[in-house]
Amino acid sequence: MTIEVRNVCKSFGAYQALDNVSLTVADGELMALLGPSGSGKTTLLRIIAGLDQPDSGEVLIHGQDLSKQAVRDRRVGFVFQHYSLFKNMSVFENVAFGLRVRPRQQRPSDAEIKRRVDELLGLVQLDPFAARYPAQLSGGQRQRVALARALAIEPKVLLLDEPFGALDARVRKELRRWVRKLHKEINVTSVFVTHDQEEALELADRIAIMNLGEIEQVATPSEAYDRPATQFVSEFLGFANRLTCHVENGIARFGDFSLPTEFDNYAGDAVAYVRPHEIGLNRANGHDIARATIDSIVALGPTARVDLAYGEQRLEVLVDRERLTELGLVVGDPCAITITRAHVFRGT
Amino acid sequence: MTAMTATAVKATPDAAQPPFRRWSVLPGFGPALGFTLAYLSLIVLIPLAALFLKAAQMDWASIWGVLANPRVFAAFRLTFLASAIAAAINCIFGLVIAWLLVRYRFWGRRIVDALVDLPFALPTAVAGVSLSALMAKNGWVGSFFAPLGIDIAYAPPGIVVALIFVGLPFVVRTVQPVLQDFEPELEEAAATLGADRWVTFIRITLPALAPAMLTGFALAFARAIGEYGSVIFIAGNRPGLTEIVPLLIVIKLEEFDYRGAAVIAVASLLISFALLIMINILQRRLGRHHDRG
Repeated sequence: MTIEVRNVCKSFGAYQALDNVSLTVADGELMALLGPSGSGKTTLLRIIAGLDQPDSGEVLIHGQDLSKQAVRDRRVGFVFQHYSLFKNMSVFENVAFGLRVRPRQQRPSDAEIKRRVDELLGLVQLDPFAARYPAQLSGGQRQRVALARALAIEPKVLLLDEPFGALDARVRKELRRWVRKLHKEINVTSVFVTHDQEEALELADRIAIMNLGEIEQVATPSEAYDRPATQFVSEFLGFANRLTCHVENGIARFGDFSLPTEFDNYAGDAVAYVRPHEIGLNRANGHDIARATIDSIVALGPTARVDLAYGEQRLEVLVDRERLTELGLVVGDPCAITITRAHVFRGT
Repeated sequence: MTAMTATAVKATPDAAQPPFRRWSVLPGFGPALGFTLAYLSLIVLIPLAALFLKAAQMDWASIWGVLANPRVFAAFRLTFLASAIAAAINCIFGLVIAWLLVRYRFWGRRIVDALVDLPFALPTAVAGVSLSALMAKNGWVGSFFAPLGIDIAYAPPGIVVALIFVGLPFVVRTVQPVLQDFEPELEEAAATLGADRWVTFIRITLPALAPAMLTGFALAFARAIGEYGSVIFIAGNRPGLTEIVPLLIVIKLEEFDYRGAAVIAVASLLISFALLIMINILQRRLGRHHDRG
């Protein structure tokens, strides 16, 4: 089922948490809300769930306006950052909760509840732990119980708030792959909040990058990385060298470089972002356009990170280690550089 | 599937005995234990031992003679029943007050918060006098009940009112911090799963608060059993009808029947102790899964 967020505003006192945010999540899609803390991503998720009320704007799930509907009637699966399992209930009872609290007419029989809960526990691979209490489980297991509990109500959409935030790195990676697989299996429209870009890039079909209460860009991970829509996205997603330059006649000038832009009638300051692998490195030969000095080399794995000094500007470059050995460059050497691609934005 | 094979956590709460002494950056187990034993002996154990010794000077037959008296029996029944009722009422309204103080921000919240402790500070005799004036047939509150044929002052309900007064702070102060630490996400989780407010309160919130409420109940109950000052002013103190155990002990003392007084005191102590242990066991069962993790 689709989720449509239309012109949602929300402020807490003087603080504008969401400023006219619109977002559409397609049926069966796994969408990430990515942004630094305070960007409003959790607030947006809570508004979709109905746990917070927007000041204005509306939320539609499957074309139906839910603004006036109580949380308990929305059938939205929500997984909380700190699991929020019911400590006084066993794993089984936690998962069964959503079925047991249904109005009497819609409540499944005990046998049916048992069948459904067992099935869900099988899905999250926790069958042997049904009788355990949350305090007796590890973090990753608790997270999976929370997921099974949310899925028990057969939610229209699944919302996850920093689902892997409280887990250690190894478990996080495992669980991430597993969630990806699970999403393919059950194919429920899902939105998850994260501040970890690696997580968003790996897991999501599309990511919505948020900053200061606004959505800066909605795109597939590779699109957002290759064609960042704003300065913020360029800086937030991966690393990019930030070059201040000047634009005239559609050309941005940075030191010895002339970078093509899409601005025809703009003259003034601009900022260019260049990814570390978008800078070419060569031995200096006297006919170079631009020359830099090697400050340091960190060679780890198949690629090496080379830090350059180009005038006042520092540049980070990624090259294959084989290529670096071929060139025979060492720290202190002069070298020739080229810029293969840049994203130029107006302003400073 | 192999990537996520569930790794079993050692979940054996009973097998993991806590070590006798845990290493700490602030050592001092020896002095702390020594001080505790000496202090408790001086303040609690020695006086209680003296009490038991005094009572033990009588043989079983005469001990039974003191306790089997209908007047004594009536006093015991009244004291424990009124204390239990007062503690139960405090349990419910203490929860409401704690709820108000923790969950809402309103003008005068701090004043209400301070008012809760007042029963601790006020001399209980003053409370007894003012409550009996209020609850008497011609008092502000008592006059509403008098036409209905309900006596409050100088009758058992008056005793309950006085005991509610002295026990009020206990439940509020034990529930307040627990409620403060309660994750609102748990209630939100229940709501997203389709639970209405009542079900959420009964199945999620209340179980988390129950151990603290029970602690408050036990404290208010114990306090009420020993209460003397406020009750004797409002009770009317009619033998066999509105006479409480502490008053009975004072009466025995005034008659220079020290042994009789000691026997009644020991009996009261033992019953209280048994009841408090039962409450403690119940509390452990309730808090079983909350304490860990």
